Amino acid sequence: MWSKKAAAVAGGALFLTLAGLIRLNYLFISAGMVMLTFVVLSSFLDVWMPSVKIRRETSSDNIFENGDMNVRFIVKNQGLGIGFVEIYDQLPPQARITKGSNYTLLYMRPWQEVSFEYSLKLPLRGHYHLGPVKMRVKDAFDLFYNEKIEESVHSFSVFPQIEVLEEQVITSRAPKLLSGAMPLNVIGAGTEFYSLREFVPGDSLRSVNWKALAKKGKMMVNETVREDVMDVILLIDAREVSAVGGGKDTPLEMSCRAAATYAKQLLDERNNVALMVYGDSIERVDLDRGEHHLFKILTALSSAKPEGNLKLEIVLKDLLPYIPSGSPIILFSSLDDDHTISEAFTNTISRGYTITTVSPSSLDFEERMKRIPSQPLLIARIERDNLISEIRSFGMQIGDWKSDEAVNTALQGG
Amino acid sequence: MEEVELKKSKMPSLKDVINYRDFFGEYPIIFAIKIISSLALIYVITEFYSYHNPLDSLITKHMKSAVPGFSPDPKIFVIWGFITGFGLYIFTLFRGKYKFLLFILTIIMVGQYLSDPALDWKVGDHVIPARVGEEDAKTWTWKPVKILYDDKEGSEKRLKDVLMRATNLIFGSIPFLGGYGIWKRKGWAIAASIGLAIIIGFLYTPNLCLENFESEYCGYETRLEERSWEDYLSGGIFIGLGLIIYVELSYAAIKYESYAEQFKPAGLDDSLLTSAQKKGVSRTLMTLFVSYLINLGVMLLITFTVAQIVVNINDYLSTTDGRIQDSIELQGPYGIVFTSLIFFMLLGFIRMFIGADYETDEN
Repeated sequence: MWSKKAAAVAGGALFLTLAGLIRLNYLFISAGMVMLTFVVLSSFLDVWMPSVKIRRETSSDNIFENGDMNVRFIVKNQGLGIGFVEIYDQLPPQARITKGSNYTLLYMRPWQEVSFEYSLKLPLRGHYHLGPVKMRVKDAFDLFYNEKIEESVHSFSVFPQIEVLEEQVITSRAPKLLSGAMPLNVIGAGTEFYSLREFVPGDSLRSVNWKALAKKGKMMVNETVREDVMDVILLIDAREVSAVGGGKDTPLEMSCRAAATYAKQLLDERNNVALMVYGDSIERVDLDRGEHHLFKILTALSSAKPEGNLKLEIVLKDLLPYIPSGSPIILFSSLDDDHTISEAFTNTISRGYTITTVSPSSLDFEERMKRIPSQPLLIARIERDNLISEIRSFGMQIGDWKSDEAVNTALQGG
Repeated sequence: MEEVELKKSKMPSLKDVINYRDFFGEYPIIFAIKIISSLALIYVITEFYSYHNPLDSLITKHMKSAVPGFSPDPKIFVIWGFITGFGLYIFTLFRGKYKFLLFILTIIMVGQYLSDPALDWKVGDHVIPARVGEEDAKTWTWKPVKILYDDKEGSEKRLKDVLMRATNLIFGSIPFLGGYGIWKRKGWAIAASIGLAIIIGFLYTPNLCLENFESEYCGYETRLEERSWEDYLSGGIFIGLGLIIYVELSYAAIKYESYAEQFKPAGLDDSLLTSAQKKGVSRTLMTLFVSYLINLGVMLLITFTVAQIVVNINDYLSTTDGRIQDSIELQGPYGIVFTSLIFFMLLGFIRMFIGADYETDEN
């Protein structure tokens, strides 16, 4: 292929020749012809395309949002040819290079192995890949080049950011056989203080509250909240409407961040966690626990895309038969464009489930982008407030989560 | 043990004043390439103007009426155009306030040079009695500065002279941009200098000066005898080759510098490289440049040979009696273009069977 330089030289040469013809100037004609001859003769030079083996070494297989990934790009010439090679490792458009460069100009000797490094940052969750690799080889005079795309792809996932939660987020009414770290709001074996009561024969001396004995003059013992393992269902609204806003500021992105944070804490406390993402269809990660399960949940969260418009009532009707009775459900939804919410809540609660709702407000994004006039926005706010009040009237916890707030505060509004 | 306090020198270090490392570069070979490119540029432009008398240019016709002293001389503007471009590059090397200081200094110096004959700055008693004429005066004051208008014509002469010298940059813009482009590593400046050479060449008409001005100004009394077409053709071949050498070498300097850049740690300079690493890069650069020069030399030789063959074939066909000579006017501009096109067609035919194949899949 012709390079810009070749095109410029040939263009200049043609101009000289034509100008020479117009002005009857031999000098122009011969200079132009010489330059044109040089270009034509250069096209005879063989542009060597290397046979290379490419591999990448990354600092981690997956990263969290805004996390850094260091990439070491190693290319080995497997042929005998030598020359300059331009190498461009294609990156996802969302990636930002923080150090080094994904482009390099290398001079490769036969069987030589060369490497270069760069670091990148990805602000948005999702599945990405590095590559393919574009390679360009030019002739000695940079007049002609040959391009090749090497299908060397390195896939990785960017997980939603996980924050550290300061307190327990939910409680359950359905204890399991195994003891865990989740408080159940009933008296039992645990570490969190619940109340004081008088000592009865059979009580362990370790549970005696000696300060209370000194104060009241009679033996008092500490009672603790029973802590147990729970089955927790994380339900994420990934309908098309959850993409309101842009970039990281969408209800879906916020929901994924909150779900990842909750899943991490719940799994750390040895609970069983399931993830269900609804939008166009329902994607499920079944109940399980452990580090490996967290990885599965994070991967599923990275895959969540805003599409479809499944209503909550249908989703819950479909899911409830598979959810263990009494298990807490945490719903992450902006509660937009769904007239079935009240009915869905009524049906679910009547079957003995509790639903905790974390609701990122999409109205904040709309207001920031100034897409809705102030009057309709006010009405929308009132409608949202009414809906939240209605859900609270069911006795369910709901957090009206603002965009600039941390996940920690998501349920504080409730 | 007594602590020795190191006093910070008030004199700024040279590297804080000027980025001289940029001038010498990290590798001597790149510095050498730049020098060779500069010489090639000066040669090409000198050669160019030996065929293009700037006085016969359309530019001169119009500039002369605007600036009466306009008298472009290749012996002056080629070398000074290059020096100005190079000077601009040196100016860009100065850092921050020193660059500004140099700029102000230049303005002051030019201002002083122009105003010197017109303004008489009295040098003598600076301190005088507070009241002039007062005897036994105890308080003294500064003498008020008086500017005496002296030789206004002298200043006007100098202004005209400066203007006339500045107009040399019109034709000197080719070496000016070339010199700046080579040293500052700016591809656009190199391309612009070539473009300007073509434009200035295009505006040239032999003996145009005599049609508009006196022979005294033009420097020749009678119309120059038209050179033979062989002279022009061989001159054009050398100019064409010179342009190629200039373009190739100046872009080579940029290319090899980019290559050496790869080894720098991101955002830092080469000082972090070990001397072994530096030597390795330097050796590779040397190998590359030598092989590049050989490639260029061979290619230029082939190009020159091909051009000579075309000219000779054209000469033979145009001077030999026969049907071709009778039917086509080969001894003229169209003749040489026609012969060249036949030659290109032959080259194209050969190219079908020899050389690189650019179909990526097959590679």
